[in-house]
Amino acid sequence: MARKMLIDGEKGNPNGEETHYDFDLFVIGAGSGGVRASRFSAQYGAKVGICELPFHPVSSEVIGGVGGTCVIRGCVPKKILVYGASFGPELQDARSFGWELNERLDFDWKKLLHKKTEEILRLNGIYKRLLANSGVKLFEGEGKVVGPNEVEVTQLDGTKIGYSAKHILIATGSRAQRLPIPGQELAITSDEALSLEELPKRAVVLGAGYIAVEFASIWRGMGATVDLFYRKELPLRGFDDEMRAVVARNLEGRGINLHPNTNLTELVRTEDGIKVRTDHGEELMADVVLFATGRAPNTKRLNLEAVGVELDKIGAVKVDEYSQTNVPSIWAIGDATNRMNLTPVALMEGGYFAKTVFGGEPTKPDHTNVPSAVFCIPPLSVVGLSEEQATEQANGDVLVFTSTFNPMKNTISGRQEKTFMKLVVDSETDKVLGASMCGPDAPEIMQGIAIALKCGATKAQFDSTVGIHPSAAEEFVTLRSVTRRIAAGKPKTNL
Amino acid sequence: MAASLGTPKLSSPTFQNLCKKCKFPIKPFSSFSHYNKPNHFGSFNSFSHPPTRSYCRRFTTRADSTNVAEPPRKYDFDLFTIGAGSGGVRASRFAANFGASVAVCELPFATVSSDSTGGVGGTCVLRGCVPKKLLVYASKYSHEFEESCGFGWNYAAEPEHDWSTLIANKNAEIQRLAGIYKNTLKNAGVALIEGRGKIVDPHTVDVDGKIYSAKNILISVGGRPFIPDIPGSEYAIDSDAALDLPSKPRKIAIVGGGYIAVEFAGIFNGLKSDVHVFIRQKKVLRGFDEEIRDFVGEQMLLRGIEFHTEESPQAIIKSSDGSLSLKTNKGTIDGFSHIMFATGRKPNTKNLGLETVGVKLTENGAIEVDEYSQTSVPSIWAVGDVTDRINLTPVALMEGGALAKTLFANKPTKPEYSAVPSAVFSQPPIAQVGLTEEQAIKEYGDVDVHTANFRPLKATLSGLPDRIFMKLIVCAKTNKVIGLHMCGEDSPEIIQGFAVAVKAGLTKADFDATVGIHPTAAEELVTMRTPTRKVRRTPSEGKTDSEIKSTAGV
Repeated sequence: MARKMLIDGEKGNPNGEETHYDFDLFVIGAGSGGVRASRFSAQYGAKVGICELPFHPVSSEVIGGVGGTCVIRGCVPKKILVYGASFGPELQDARSFGWELNERLDFDWKKLLHKKTEEILRLNGIYKRLLANSGVKLFEGEGKVVGPNEVEVTQLDGTKIGYSAKHILIATGSRAQRLPIPGQELAITSDEALSLEELPKRAVVLGAGYIAVEFASIWRGMGATVDLFYRKELPLRGFDDEMRAVVARNLEGRGINLHPNTNLTELVRTEDGIKVRTDHGEELMADVVLFATGRAPNTKRLNLEAVGVELDKIGAVKVDEYSQTNVPSIWAIGDATNRMNLTPVALMEGGYFAKTVFGGEPTKPDHTNVPSAVFCIPPLSVVGLSEEQATEQANGDVLVFTSTFNPMKNTISGRQEKTFMKLVVDSETDKVLGASMCGPDAPEIMQGIAIALKCGATKAQFDSTVGIHPSAAEEFVTLRSVTRRIAAGKPKTNL
Repeated sequence: MAASLGTPKLSSPTFQNLCKKCKFPIKPFSSFSHYNKPNHFGSFNSFSHPPTRSYCRRFTTRADSTNVAEPPRKYDFDLFTIGAGSGGVRASRFAANFGASVAVCELPFATVSSDSTGGVGGTCVLRGCVPKKLLVYASKYSHEFEESCGFGWNYAAEPEHDWSTLIANKNAEIQRLAGIYKNTLKNAGVALIEGRGKIVDPHTVDVDGKIYSAKNILISVGGRPFIPDIPGSEYAIDSDAALDLPSKPRKIAIVGGGYIAVEFAGIFNGLKSDVHVFIRQKKVLRGFDEEIRDFVGEQMLLRGIEFHTEESPQAIIKSSDGSLSLKTNKGTIDGFSHIMFATGRKPNTKNLGLETVGVKLTENGAIEVDEYSQTSVPSIWAVGDVTDRINLTPVALMEGGALAKTLFANKPTKPEYSAVPSAVFSQPPIAQVGLTEEQAIKEYGDVDVHTANFRPLKATLSGLPDRIFMKLIVCAKTNKVIGLHMCGEDSPEIIQGFAVAVKAGLTKADFDATVGIHPTAAEELVTMRTPTRKVRRTPSEGKTDSEIKSTAGV
């Protein structure tokens, strides 16, 4: 190992005169990464404390809740709403299968909202119990770093308590940002969108990332008129261009009004709702305007600069490959570090942090071939490189295998929506560099494919696998003919 | 196939007639050709007629490499395929793509198969995988209606199902697919001949009286449902008929515990029929992982299916009101509108002329083949269900593709049967790849078993008792994942990717190194940290020794 790690029991105090600390580890933030790191550290025998803000579905500087973004205002409630919204079109399709349903199906948003809140409260309780069962001490309040081995927790009643800790872990996550335009206070972020009192009839979504397309799909599925605005030609920047085009086509096919190359310039409150102005001079009325314009790390009130912890331009905590900051006793994981902002990545970083610091086994999280999913309807899931990335990075020619097909269910329902799949292969090594799919069940399908990619599986190994018939997934092992071959070093023109 | 004569009762008069019709002309015709058509070299012993050079085609050189002893000769076709189902179509198309001249014969289309009816597309497309899955989709909706209530959707009235809409749409779709299959054959340059093919000699096929010679003959005639011969079995339906009933069963008895039985139980239960399943054993799905068998049984029970275990059917009695009673070793249950037998399938090897040319069959009538799908007669090959190896469409495709390579691409290829994944479209569905726990223990002795049994996110909201069960079996010595089983929503879609990993021989550590996709059910399969149990062979002698020593040391 090139650099000296700060391993427990290995710290520079050869005479055994170890300083006494209140905790071996104090974690600020009990989201996915923080809880994972705390529990695992405790299991390695460390004495662990963790602090978290009081619970509320909508986060701020002073409220949060055990479970963090994923459980309270991210993955979980989002997926619940996606389930709810998917029933809309799903039930329409039932008719062609012989089911006789009312002309208009009734959807009760308040009921779903209530059940969603119940579920996240249940999960919040489970997380608390997980911590208690692994012997982690939970403090409710706002944590600050006051020294390399000192934290201060401001309790709900305003009193402050200081704790010393051998290691401090920052796992405070991130929060949705608003665009600074006139009337921006009229807009909401994804936090509020998950807890709206009323289901909007007319929704405007600004943004091109996964949060934007997910909420556009949710509201559309529940019957709202949805207008989606984004700055580029296609949504989901950073994903494979062809997949982006497929998602855009599907969103449109499901009735979402797309406004590419368009920004919002002003929001005005009127009696009829919010008047939305665009840089193309258009005006439209909305009940809800969602800003899905990015998230920023929660590092402002942690007092990090004062103790000398370096932050990057956007305020993310700078860490090395082992999640260690420039202050050796302070570490950071998850969205606060803005590496790859996904729950399972925060879990990986948290687990490896514990292994490194308390397990005596320095372990770097590996951020390659991390699969991910966008729960728009239908969903997109990817692992490995996009075609563009592969073309840039591969030594040899890149072989692209694609399949566009009508899912079997659509043959009866008549739904005009194709599933699209893609494998990107290095022609020299036969290794599958990237896999992507947009269509029903894509996220479930991609998980197993991700193992294969992670382990450097070749196209020949895909081909030697027998299909499961009839499934959509079997297409991934039956892509026989190359759709196109891209010569090395010649990136495909942008879509 | 005496027992199956009762099977297609819906069309039995025509069926009997056609059977008689095709039996008579065949023999005289074939003997006629045999002796009076000297241009058909195939009818004669290959060695007695050395061909002239002009008869040598491009393909013969290729074919020669697989059978050096046989001199090149002129045949009508390089390959004649009997049966245009999954395996036959695949083999024919690929062979044609490799440059061979190919013909395939198939019986006329009908939704219910018989000795005289079939159709391009075969079991999978016409009366198997495809229509079954369409009915599964349809029937699954009733569960989705229930689920959706938990997500805020309301129904003024309970949704009713109209069987005839579904069946009409299903039939339109399978007709469309049959058309597509015909087109793919046509586009590949394969000659499609409608009729019943019968082998006359090692290089000659008779199709309803017309004679064709071929260098190679491929038998890919598939299998057909089998109903045991008990009193009243003529009142029973099989899966062919069940997929095309004129009306929906009000109350149905399904006899059998295999995948077809549990799939149809799920279909009719979802469409609100009263479903009773009769199984000889204590559990459904013999041969599957024991825990999966238990789990799926429980889940089906929770969805309203009634199981009658350790009951064998003895007779079917038709009452004066038209309803059916099923008499078993335990008693009689009345009031069924339909009784379906899902008691296995048998290879379609009757009346193919196989005995005449000396093609060896197994005890249950399947064609015996070697690893290259070659029968005991070197010029005759067989793929798919008719060989009763692993009776799955993708396996037939693999066998068909491999055969085309072997015969016409100069690349002898054995189909590979390890880690073949498969699915049961029960509700909830099952998918698996690799070994069951029982097989794994038998084969490897020391295995670690990881299991997860959880309530998926959707069920926590819907309030329904749906659960998901997953099992990962790891060889303790090599850390390789040797078996993977799942029962629960989306299992078949989920397992496909994992099958690539298992096929590639990946280890548990490889699974663990993979980051999850959140929130999905599938991510559980990469986040199983501690084994549920470690199965070890009875302690080895060495270990016993050390235990004795330590005891002695105390």
